[in-house]
Amino acid sequence: MKKKKDLKISRRTVMKGALAAGAMMSAGSIPSKLFAGEFNIPDPLKPLPTTGGNMRWIDSGDMKGVFWKKLFPEYAASRGITIEYDGLPWKEINKIVPIAIRNGTVHDVFQLPIGMDPGVAVSEGWVQPWDDYIENIDEWLGAFPSGVYLPGVNQFNGKTYGTCLTANKRTGTCLLYSEKYMSEAGYDPQAGRMTYSEIRDAAKKITKNGNGQYYGWIIGGNQVNRWEDVVHTFGQVGGAHSGRGGFTNRHINFQNGKFQIASDQYMEAVELLLQLKSDGSAFPGVMSMNAPQARALMPQGAAGMIFQGPWCIGVWGRDAPNWKYGIASEPVPDGKEAQPLYIAEGGSNTFWLSANSTMGPFAGDLIRFMGTEQGQIYWAQTVGAADPAVNPDAVAKAGLTGPSAQALSMFAENILVGPNPIVRNKDVGIVAAKSRVPDPSLALVIQGLYTGQLKGVEAQLKDCNQRYEDALDKAVEEARADGANVTRDDWVFPNWDVYSNYGAEKYQEL
Amino acid sequence: MHKKPLSKQIYDARWCYLFVLPCSILTGMFVIYPIGMSWYFSLLDWSGFTKEAKFIGLQNYYEAVNDEFFWDAFIRSFIFMFGTVPVKIVLGFIIAVFLNNQVLKLAPFFRTVIFMPVVTAIAIIGIVMTFVFSPFNGPANKFLMSTNLTSAPIDFLGNPDTVLPTVMGVYVWKWLGITMMYWLAALQTVPQDVYDAAKIDGAEGYRLWIHIILPIVLPFAIVIILVEAVGALNVFPLIETMTAGGPFFSSEVMEIYIFRTAFVTDSGTMPRLGYACAAGVFWGVAVLFITVLQGLWMRRTRRI
Repeated sequence: MKKKKDLKISRRTVMKGALAAGAMMSAGSIPSKLFAGEFNIPDPLKPLPTTGGNMRWIDSGDMKGVFWKKLFPEYAASRGITIEYDGLPWKEINKIVPIAIRNGTVHDVFQLPIGMDPGVAVSEGWVQPWDDYIENIDEWLGAFPSGVYLPGVNQFNGKTYGTCLTANKRTGTCLLYSEKYMSEAGYDPQAGRMTYSEIRDAAKKITKNGNGQYYGWIIGGNQVNRWEDVVHTFGQVGGAHSGRGGFTNRHINFQNGKFQIASDQYMEAVELLLQLKSDGSAFPGVMSMNAPQARALMPQGAAGMIFQGPWCIGVWGRDAPNWKYGIASEPVPDGKEAQPLYIAEGGSNTFWLSANSTMGPFAGDLIRFMGTEQGQIYWAQTVGAADPAVNPDAVAKAGLTGPSAQALSMFAENILVGPNPIVRNKDVGIVAAKSRVPDPSLALVIQGLYTGQLKGVEAQLKDCNQRYEDALDKAVEEARADGANVTRDDWVFPNWDVYSNYGAEKYQEL
Repeated sequence: MHKKPLSKQIYDARWCYLFVLPCSILTGMFVIYPIGMSWYFSLLDWSGFTKEAKFIGLQNYYEAVNDEFFWDAFIRSFIFMFGTVPVKIVLGFIIAVFLNNQVLKLAPFFRTVIFMPVVTAIAIIGIVMTFVFSPFNGPANKFLMSTNLTSAPIDFLGNPDTVLPTVMGVYVWKWLGITMMYWLAALQTVPQDVYDAAKIDGAEGYRLWIHIILPIVLPFAIVIILVEAVGALNVFPLIETMTAGGPFFSSEVMEIYIFRTAFVTDSGTMPRLGYACAAGVFWGVAVLFITVLQGLWMRRTRRI
């Protein structure tokens, strides 16, 4: 009997790759090769304190960490201070920041935990406005594209409490693939958006060609948000128009204010994932690996396709510079035209200044520099498409090429600004603070369907949709009981044209 | 005889109270206060990090006992306990009996080898075990495949049917050394005279162990079972590092459930410290109940 061949990728290599990816995620200690070392940091617009000090900064790391690790030492040296940087996964931010706020030991500059309403942070007195620390702040804000700084999102009581240096125009579920395997399977995703059938067929062929050494598709299945991200975005591409962001935006069709979880498009997306499994095209063991581990296996030739974000580009560029891969838009259900994806107005990676911080002058000086065109160019050159710089002119001048440029172009083409209930009514923030994702969440339902612990896609998604509706109703009810002026009608935007951006004039029409 | 007034009794024993004071303060700060606060928090609708906390009475408890995931985790914790403690007790005893034999020259070496996982950081073990049991070139699967025991790799930690037994196996391996040490300590309290007398009376082999040694070490067994049972209900770091309760709650024990609701909301909504405290208090009372039962059993055994 012919013995099955061992996979060529050693466990040691996998561990090495995963650790490297983890390090990128958490500390960003891998040096950038995209620019040559030195920043031209301008003098501060007004004299800074000469007392020195240590500025502590925490954010969700990833490619941001790579950039900060390069910039912070130079900036600190130029201002006579030290900077202590902690780049941690969101799961850790969600734990550490609340406890640190409660203990009065939170970092000078930090990101709020996911799901935390910024209005709560302001009203609780955890943060202070940047206005006193960013010189000529009105002029500085004027350089940003409209819709980045908004009342109720990052501005409160006429002051700017949150600063954004990056745009949220990106998706985390692009089709990233091995050029070699895909070409051997007879497909070229660059020729046009692939359909579900083509994805399935390509995965089958890659698996067949792999003969046990590699597989068609991989996903970090024990990181449950990956399941939800894929189904959500694929559902949108299929035509389930809905918002992105937190619980009070995600999966909601703003044409009728209802959740889209039980839509045909979501079901088709879940079915695709189940078919990839039943076809035997899924990499064995996806349920026991997280997203960075799955990502690390791609350049090692373990799988042909992964649905991931543009942050892979930077990681792979450093870990496997010779590996040939491609990036393409999410697939579309058979026989359908790809529909737009939507983001809410505002930027991403909002930075907040601790109310207890005495390093405000330095933090404000640094943020001001990063908001200038030069600062944004530096950012774009290092971070690329992973966290796109918010200033489009700076991105254009950064001279990005290859997959980064292609990803940004894809995002520009596919993503529109959708309605955002909190921009319409700031009391929606109170609902956000009251809302709780019901158990099991959509992410877990999909995971349960994939493992076979749950049966019946349609029934499960319908139940899940109802749970989400009930949870939002309950949150609205609780917010109203606390005096919020909000109803479910705040989620209905009858003038939403799904093929155009939803801007300030649209809000005024309501 | 005239009894001294209480104040006089306290004054006479003032040095005793003084020496007890530091321990009392520390116990108050780090045991009594947190327990008291968790009881109080369990009555609040509170995320844990806003000023807004609403008193809601027993509503959190009501919600917890009506949550199927709470009961699933609750039962799973006991499955974990009943699945690991007997194995550890029996295996630990057998190993201790062998290694208690003075004739065995390599006993110290084997004791050290078996004890080594105990002193290894549990988080490290958890992470390393995810690689050991990986279906992709993990040594466990390589062994099974190379010996033709399986034709395809097994996703030990990703399959709902295998995940809990796998974690239980790792738990037993990790802590077996400490159970063995408990048994060794118990066995070493049996005087040599007893062995000699038993031999003279013709009691050897299993008769010696069943009729002579076991009754002597039985009170120790109760203590060991009690310690092991409570230990098996506190497995947060191992499960969090190996599976984080997944896939789809398959390995979610009570501690993971409490942690998930108190701190980590992957879905992006506010955590619920008040609710988590209610679940924690409920769980704490359940563990206390078991401990009391075992304590009563121990007292009864001692009387026998």
